[in-house]
Amino acid sequence: MISLAGRDILHSWGKFVLTGLGLGLLIGVTFTMAGVYRGMVDDAKVLLNNSGADLWVVQKDTLGPYAESSSIPDDVYRGILGMPGVAQAANVTYLSMQARKGNTDVRAMVVGFEPGQPGEPGYLVAGRRITRGHYEAVADVMTGFRVGDRISIRRHDYAVVGLTRRMVSSGGDPMVFIPLKDAQEAQFLKDNDAIVNSRARTAENPALNRPGVPGLLDAINASQTSNHNVNTVLVRVAEGHSPEAVAQDIRRWKHLQAYTRAQMEDILIAKLIATASKQIGMFLVILMIVSAAIVAFIIYTMTLGKIREIAVLKLIGTHNLTISSMILQQALGLGLIGFVIGKIAATLWGPLFPKYVLLLPEDSVRGFFIVMVVCMLASTLAIRAALKVDPATAIGG
Amino acid sequence: MDQGVGIQIEGLSKRYGAGDTAVDALKEVNMHVAPGEVVGLIGPSGSGKTTLLKCLGAVIEPTQGRMTLGGEAIYDNGWKISDLRVLRRDRIGFVFQAPYLIPFLDVTDNVALLPMLAGRPNGEARARALELLTALDVAHRAKAETSELSGGEQQRVSIARALANKPPVILADEPTAPLDSERALAVMRILNQMAMQYQTAIIVVTHDEKIIPTFKRLYNIRDGRTVEEAGKGQALQ
Amino acid sequence: MKIPFTLPRQIWFVLFGVVLLLAFGWVALKSGPFAPIKVTLTQVTKGEVAPALFGIGTVEARRAYLIGPTAAGRVGRVLVDVGDTVKGGQLLAEMDPVDLDKRVASAVAAAGRGRSAVTTAEAQVQDAKSRQALAASEARRYIDLGKKNFISQSVVDAKLQQQQSADAQLSAGESALASARQDLARLDAEREAAQQQRGNIRLLAPVDGVVTSRDAEPGSTVIAGQAVLKLQEPGSLWVTVRLDQGRSAGVRAGLPADIVLRSSPDKGLTGKVVRVEPISDSVTEERIAQVAFDTLPPGVSSNEMAEVTLHLPAASDVLVLPNAALRHRGAQAGVWLRADGTLRFVPVKTGAEGLDGKVQIVDGLKAGDEVVVYSERELKDDSRIKVVDKLGTTK
Repeated sequence: MISLAGRDILHSWGKFVLTGLGLGLLIGVTFTMAGVYRGMVDDAKVLLNNSGADLWVVQKDTLGPYAESSSIPDDVYRGILGMPGVAQAANVTYLSMQARKGNTDVRAMVVGFEPGQPGEPGYLVAGRRITRGHYEAVADVMTGFRVGDRISIRRHDYAVVGLTRRMVSSGGDPMVFIPLKDAQEAQFLKDNDAIVNSRARTAENPALNRPGVPGLLDAINASQTSNHNVNTVLVRVAEGHSPEAVAQDIRRWKHLQAYTRAQMEDILIAKLIATASKQIGMFLVILMIVSAAIVAFIIYTMTLGKIREIAVLKLIGTHNLTISSMILQQALGLGLIGFVIGKIAATLWGPLFPKYVLLLPEDSVRGFFIVMVVCMLASTLAIRAALKVDPATAIGG
Repeated sequence: MDQGVGIQIEGLSKRYGAGDTAVDALKEVNMHVAPGEVVGLIGPSGSGKTTLLKCLGAVIEPTQGRMTLGGEAIYDNGWKISDLRVLRRDRIGFVFQAPYLIPFLDVTDNVALLPMLAGRPNGEARARALELLTALDVAHRAKAETSELSGGEQQRVSIARALANKPPVILADEPTAPLDSERALAVMRILNQMAMQYQTAIIVVTHDEKIIPTFKRLYNIRDGRTVEEAGKGQALQ
Repeated sequence: MKIPFTLPRQIWFVLFGVVLLLAFGWVALKSGPFAPIKVTLTQVTKGEVAPALFGIGTVEARRAYLIGPTAAGRVGRVLVDVGDTVKGGQLLAEMDPVDLDKRVASAVAAAGRGRSAVTTAEAQVQDAKSRQALAASEARRYIDLGKKNFISQSVVDAKLQQQQSADAQLSAGESALASARQDLARLDAEREAAQQQRGNIRLLAPVDGVVTSRDAEPGSTVIAGQAVLKLQEPGSLWVTVRLDQGRSAGVRAGLPADIVLRSSPDKGLTGKVVRVEPISDSVTEERIAQVAFDTLPPGVSSNEMAEVTLHLPAASDVLVLPNAALRHRGAQAGVWLRADGTLRFVPVKTGAEGLDGKVQIVDGLKAGDEVVVYSERELKDDSRIKVVDKLGTTK
């Protein structure tokens, strides 16, 4: 027995391939949407993995440092370092701000870190690590910066000495790593006008500007512009200790909160991405429905175009099953072409998206089965029409 | 006339609807065609020709009567065959007004389709198709697409298709309507030839004046009743 | 729809299908999680590491002088302004003497009065002395007379008593004189004090220097210890450099330094560490070093920012790697070594690190070992890698 579906496809291959192409692009969009969601989740995971930390110690009652702002004194880490089970503890600051190069600026997550400690980028793709204590930066390639560029962050210029990859904030902003002290200053120190203003205001305050206490005003001004806060302390737990146990110890300090990796994932993915994931989920459902509708419509139209042939086939003795199977196979074939084209398209245009698009193999497999099922269901409309054809109509035109 | 083979129809009636709006399309039709015979079924439109053909083709169910095919009763006040589709596939051949070839199959496969549907291996089905195409003098177009053929060639291929499963009966519905007299006579020539060669009973429904004289026997149907007539039996060279 | 070539049409479709499948396969293997991780490798070589310490510094004066009054008062006149060069001993400003002049006068007068009192006391002593002499000689005569019984004993006693009383008056007079002299000394001292006070309202430059700030104008009231002017010795400017404690190993006096001032970033200046402060900053966790300029450039202002690089002696003929190769696994620092076709994390101990990113490997590797320098992603023990020359630096 020959394959009627195959022959029909071969015969009108142009129409088929074009439809498959259109469907493929639609499926590609669907894959990309799913990829955007996976990318967001991966951004969050990568953020947690790349920090190299087992625990995040933040201000009490906050979900920081990524989901909420958190501010703790920068000498807290000393106490944490002394606790059992703690191998490394280091101050880290995070703040989203603009990094300028020449006339352009880029929204980046500026990370203040200490070399050799958690918070440092784990690997580089070019250049070197920071060797000077100030004014050097390592940037993620997504910023568009190159090794040797000079960039400005707030009040200072930094030389980009190294590049890294996939270091992004949970919102997808690329990271720029600078020494902790510079980051503290960038985060907490205001611009010149504000500083001059605040100095003037302090000088006008008779309680602070006492002639009988020389040096008081200077001391107050200095304390106002000093910055001894960080956003979090990242902790690496020693071998053989459980992060949760160490976290419990830290939480007993009444003014601190500590999160394990699992809790941070939950915060980022469940809370931060929740709305976006719902939106994307709805979008995926809509796309699926649209794809189903398109396949149904195309197959139905193709079937209607063959009504007379179907009547003749039925008359001369073709089984309903054979006819239905032909329609089904065409729908599945269309789905297959669409899937393959969609997967290729999504892979090719994924990197062009501003945010990270992650296409997982299991998503492709799942997508394949969904496409097949959708095509199967979509073909039922045409199959119904084909089954309803009365073979008698072939006689007596 | 050998009443045991070919087609036998006795007292066939078909009523559409019920009660006051009922229409009797066929009223106790009697007909018989012997193997190898080509019989014409003529009558004005609306006379029930098409209805009779549909009953014979087992696509509609008569109301009462008896139909025998090759000695076997297929309808006797109720279908006697469980699978009508298999009946149509294996034992009835159809030739239509237009060739109605399957456009996405080539010429050979159009003809080989029926044997394949009947379960024959592809090679055997295609060999049979080639044999028929040769007999119908279109073998040189065996590998062509149906759209490349002329009207006459297509008609011949459709006749080959009708013969593919060696059915005992072929029902032809206005096979010459769109053709000119030369081609129409050619088709009738072929039908007669095939009928003889394969011992098939052929019923040709027509109102084409060009070919009516070629029948040796005719059935005239009027208001659902048939009257057997002798035809002119004009020779076809 | 037909294509012109009918014979190989099946083949065309099969070809199309094969091409599609190949593209699909390529896509599946080259991208996404299946793809191998691209890395670059380098060999551990022997080389030189030129370690250096880097810190931000502020230009400060070694010595700064606050010129002000020792008592609260009103500024009378200020004779210099910011930027003026002054000589040691030069009068820079003067406080309003107010009543100081009068006080000096009063002290002088009091001292004068004291001198008069001394003179008076001296005269009185003279007087007492003469009386005492007389009383003494009379007493002697009367005693003599008494002995000869020319006068009664009571008369003798009376004369003796007169003598005693004259003695006493002399002592009293002498002590009154002493007290008048002491009083004079005191008044003299007060006079000197008043004059010194009067002198103190003259603010003189303690050394040659440059006026860096003028903090009070004539007429303003200042208290004791408040600065009216600030002075700096030019040429005593040095850079106070702050170095991260963790990256300050090896800092000591005598290290050569490269200084770049924020105000002239293209000019490189040289200097030397003259002192490492014994007290570090525990809040900012920095050590503080003082770096002097070899030649002080003109136009340098104090409190200006500078970037200072201190050069430590180079370590030569040591195993060297770029610091981009250093990774962490947990708290352990190390590198990913490629040996015998497998990838393995090897802990290393590092030594000196140069500002150019070269780091000395003290322990853990040998020359010729191949290690991963750059990688697209975090490496794990079972990662599949693909060695390339250079990683693309687009995302």
